[in-house]
Amino acid sequence: MALVELRGVCKSFRKGDETITPLDEVDLDIEAGDFVSLMGPSGTGKSTLLNLVSGIDRPDAGTIRVAGTEVTKLSRGKLADWRAANLGYIFQTHNLIPVLTAYENVELPTLLLKMTSSQRRQRVELALEAVGLSDRADHYPRQLSGGQEQRVGIARAIVAHPKVVVADEPTGSLDTETSEQVQVLLQRLNKELDITLLMVTHDTDAAKIASRQLVLDRGMFREVGLDETSTVSNA
Amino acid sequence: MLLPWEYGVRNLARRPVRTALTLVALATVVMLVFVVVGFIRGLERSLAISGDEDVVLVYSVNSEENIENSSIAARTPSLLAASLDGTMKRFGVSHVSPELYLGTRVATESGPGGLGLVRGVETSAPLVRRSVQLVEGTWPADGEVMVGRLVATKLGREPSELELGRQLEFEGRKWTISGRFASGGSAYESEIWCPLGDFQTATKRQDLSLVAIRLQPGRSPAEVQLFCKERLDLELRAIRETDYYASLQQHYKPVRVLAWFVVVLVSGAGVFAGLNMMYGSVAGRIREIATLQAIGYRRFAILLSVVQEGVLLAAAGSLLSGAFALLLLNGMAVRFTMGAFTLRIDSVAILIGCGVGILLGVLGSLPPALKALREEVATGLKAV
Repeated sequence: MALVELRGVCKSFRKGDETITPLDEVDLDIEAGDFVSLMGPSGTGKSTLLNLVSGIDRPDAGTIRVAGTEVTKLSRGKLADWRAANLGYIFQTHNLIPVLTAYENVELPTLLLKMTSSQRRQRVELALEAVGLSDRADHYPRQLSGGQEQRVGIARAIVAHPKVVVADEPTGSLDTETSEQVQVLLQRLNKELDITLLMVTHDTDAAKIASRQLVLDRGMFREVGLDETSTVSNA
Repeated sequence: MLLPWEYGVRNLARRPVRTALTLVALATVVMLVFVVVGFIRGLERSLAISGDEDVVLVYSVNSEENIENSSIAARTPSLLAASLDGTMKRFGVSHVSPELYLGTRVATESGPGGLGLVRGVETSAPLVRRSVQLVEGTWPADGEVMVGRLVATKLGREPSELELGRQLEFEGRKWTISGRFASGGSAYESEIWCPLGDFQTATKRQDLSLVAIRLQPGRSPAEVQLFCKERLDLELRAIRETDYYASLQQHYKPVRVLAWFVVVLVSGAGVFAGLNMMYGSVAGRIREIATLQAIGYRRFAILLSVVQEGVLLAAAGSLLSGAFALLLLNGMAVRFTMGAFTLRIDSVAILIGCGVGILLGVLGSLPPALKALREEVATGLKAV
């Protein structure tokens, strides 16, 4: 069974008098260890799909199963608990808590899990080491560069050892050099730590690092090869 | 699972000026609450400790509740002493205190004073009024008075004007201060005591205002009340002293109600100060709050964290005000119609003041927190 399984997922929005249906009877399977990039023109529902998989939004119809749990059936509170244990979220603008240090930001998800303080410390240190920021643990977000902030955001997403990590345009607000560093980091996390990644991106270069590239257009997925990626991005 | 404590604490330092201003506003509100509660507690205590269970007051039936208006015959004390078995007696002396009690204008050497309360008494008075203690000087002889420790406040004069040897003027005569007395915070402390005969001469009165009788311990005032009912010609009424002051408490009930109303109004202002600060604080953190939910924090945990911020600020304001109230307000003398009393910042006042402060913190932070959490997580993550 796939790690992430979407069956007949529909999602509509009301915009004034108009009803927009970005996702219409969508099916998708993502296997454990996959690194999936999701591209497509603006407004096609990429971020909506990410929100549905991560349980911060609900579909109008269909089922979403992640790691054997049907997230569409969970209550709001249970969904929060489920996210804490199973899901890591990488945001476009890192979304770090400004009043907490890098260490404390990374520690946040682990506070929701049952573990001893030494286990917690070990997890946080490992996560910061994985993103190469052990020496910046005591720095506040305002004392870090944009790339460093995003790496702290990535460490926060992986620290609880989630079954799946979703990333919403993780390189969208970074310069080219920093963007490449983050891409390399994501690829390394996928390969070395076997983390399953679902990444929404507009960046064709970022999409190419994924093992599977999907395009979402008019409510349908289309799998593309590496050579097609740039064409899709320009659509 | 709750958010780390540090998160709430450090959030307060995000907008230091706004936080400081809100702290000052909350501290001011709580200080006003302390003033009002201290006033009520002081007034209640003054009246509560002024009464003695074993003392019965006998005064004119026509004077309603106001002893100042009472006028009874000068022979009443001897009649009472002779007729009652339950009166306390020691070494052949009956513990019966005839008194003339009057509100009159009292001037000091420095100028005209305010309305003072003068009680003409005999040497038997301390046998009945046991809380009265001479703390300085001597018992007044003819032409002399002794003053309670709150008389200066009652008259609106400087305490130095009421030092021993200084003179007061009332009822057309000059009186030399021979002593100073305390009475454990009771209403007597705002009174001037002088020899009964001298006072009657000065006021050209031969009657009395009341007779205070100390009963043997545990005796009922029924015997005195029966005497008053049988001797209709004397037109007397008798009431246990504690009941008299309890009735005065009722008399001041509208004042207390008004004081509590002030507390509510002032607290309302405090809630708005808190709301203003917390709305501003939370409005700038919509995306942060959505992020915390996306990470896996429940809404309740975030709500508690925001309320924690408000409560923390309010608690700091309350502690600040509590310290100021204890240092500056506690024991401060206040002039009042019945005399004077001291503001009392006791454990109950501290509890009420800090309780109101913390309530302000909760009420000021709850609506902004609920508003922020109503936002959908997906929408909140896009907030600027």
